[in-house]
Amino acid sequence: MSGQRVSSEAASLLDVHSEAAVRPPPRFRTVRELLRKKLAFLAILYLSIFYVAGLAAPLVAPYGLNEQQLTVEARRQAPSSEHLFGTDALGRDMFTRVLYSARTTIFFTLAVVLTGGLVLGLGLGLLAGYRGGWVDLAIMRVGETLSGLPTLLLMLAITAAFRARISSWSFWLEDHTFLGADAKTFVKFAIITAAAVPFSWLGTSRIVRSQVLAIREQSYVTAAESMGASTSRILWRHILPGVMPLYLVGLSSGMAGIAGAEVALSYLGLGIDAPAASFGNLIGDTNGTRFFEQYPYLLIAAAGPVVLFFFSWNLLGDALVDVFDRRQNMRR
Amino acid sequence: MGPGLLGYIVRRVLWAIPVLFSISVIVFFMLRLAPGDPVDAILGQRYQEEQARVLKEKYGYDKPVYVQYYKYMKNLAQGDLGVSTRHREFTASEVIWPKVKVSSQLSFAALVISFGLGIPVGVYAALARGTFIDPLTISFWLAIEAVPTFVLSTFAIWFFALKLDVVNLSYHGVYSANMILPVMVMALPGVAGIARFMRASVISVLGEDYIRTARAKGLKEQTVVISHITRNALLPMITVIGLSLPGIISGSLFVETSFGIPGIARESLAAVLAPDYDVILALVLFGSTLFVFANVVIDIVYGFVDPRVRVGAARE
Repeated sequence: MSGQRVSSEAASLLDVHSEAAVRPPPRFRTVRELLRKKLAFLAILYLSIFYVAGLAAPLVAPYGLNEQQLTVEARRQAPSSEHLFGTDALGRDMFTRVLYSARTTIFFTLAVVLTGGLVLGLGLGLLAGYRGGWVDLAIMRVGETLSGLPTLLLMLAITAAFRARISSWSFWLEDHTFLGADAKTFVKFAIITAAAVPFSWLGTSRIVRSQVLAIREQSYVTAAESMGASTSRILWRHILPGVMPLYLVGLSSGMAGIAGAEVALSYLGLGIDAPAASFGNLIGDTNGTRFFEQYPYLLIAAAGPVVLFFFSWNLLGDALVDVFDRRQNMRR
Repeated sequence: MGPGLLGYIVRRVLWAIPVLFSISVIVFFMLRLAPGDPVDAILGQRYQEEQARVLKEKYGYDKPVYVQYYKYMKNLAQGDLGVSTRHREFTASEVIWPKVKVSSQLSFAALVISFGLGIPVGVYAALARGTFIDPLTISFWLAIEAVPTFVLSTFAIWFFALKLDVVNLSYHGVYSANMILPVMVMALPGVAGIARFMRASVISVLGEDYIRTARAKGLKEQTVVISHITRNALLPMITVIGLSLPGIISGSLFVETSFGIPGIARESLAAVLAPDYDVILALVLFGSTLFVFANVVIDIVYGFVDPRVRVGAARE
């Protein structure tokens, strides 16, 4: 190990010349870094608008979510100052529905990230990496087994199987909890979350585990162990901070995929549907070639915001990977 | 191929057995214990008890689940995948295989295009590292990746079939010019991931000693890029290629529905909604087998291509 490090140090001393040859003049490097930062900056800007607008949807929305206007002129209007994104087939304000869809996307990703990503992904990854032995073996094998399954097919199967019970569950919830009329949406939401969670921790736990394996051997961890620090203290104070950066990189790259699962399921009519709003059913209502030819603004209004959401997370993930790589290289 | 690698391969193949076994148990019990049962699926909502009893006896649904599982596995060992409850006269394998054939051919074409574009784009971006071209190229493909397939295919059909009127979209089998558009819609969103992976791989290769040596020898830049950089950077791509193979089961779902292609992804959606128990089970098992064996093949290919892996396996 140390021999390798020495040789790579020697190599980096020799590297000066060839680096100068490979790298373009610094003029372009600045432009690139500016652009890179600018893209990441724009992504962050868009995401903050998306999150604030989505969370504040009931306050920001100009109309009610299901406020219909069924006159011929009021339906499928083009964007105007009254209806920023136009109106849908039932005369409902598209901008309002987009805002509420953003809310759905935010809550769904949050639910999946908190349960599957954080508790399972980070927790199991830490456990597998730090404990090792049969715990590690069991967790990794379960992960391998799950990742061997055709994900979309199984998510479809799970949601389809549970949807048969939606009404009985939601009636019970209506009578016994504070949810009231929202019970049905809540049940649908719980079903797609339950379908997504089993598949959401595999990648993260693998990243976390490999990071833990590397950090566990560091001298500050062995020092803490020799001083008799408890396992939980070592995990929280010494290993977690080292794992966090790569975990966040993985999370931001995976975000579009998690949100995309809900959009796809709702598009197929197996996720969130009317009266609640989701980008999936918004797109489903406005999709189709002939429909698009006639009302292009409706599909663009429905798909545009969520496409930008995916794009922004991907850009952010990409920029984070780059920054992280550079930091790793500098440390080396 | 030394004895070490052979042992390694045998271990990998043997390991696939418990993995596939547990997948089959999980999915079988999940399907049988979920609300609704195959008899409801066959007979609909109103039927006479007598009819149901006869059917249950015929297919063995009246037995406990573990007995059903045993019977299913016994039949599976003889190549019998069960019957389709959606297409009553057909067995599950008669429903599945023709459609798997369609989808796998289209997916294969799409994969070839994805990798054919993604690899050069990745190399190009990596070599342009430090200029604005690199982030611009990658972001362009990321933007395409961000558009859901069902929206992308609407745009594609509208533009090429309605606006330009250059394509005909009727389905005449896999080998026809009409398949170019769906295959492109399938392939283009995949480019970004491959390009990003390739870019990272090339960048890690760029710093290696042998690249410096090749340049120091005075080789042409073209030779260095193609036979030194790209060849070595392709090595980790084996994993990506292998792991994208099982995608043929559901990867092309929205393309198949948008373009009216009778492929396996559409069939699997219909099977899930019906529900068509034996077909779902067969699809999941087929998909998982494909995945597990793709993994084994990846390991073996690594062993052949990269001598370091071979030595490591032998030492293990």
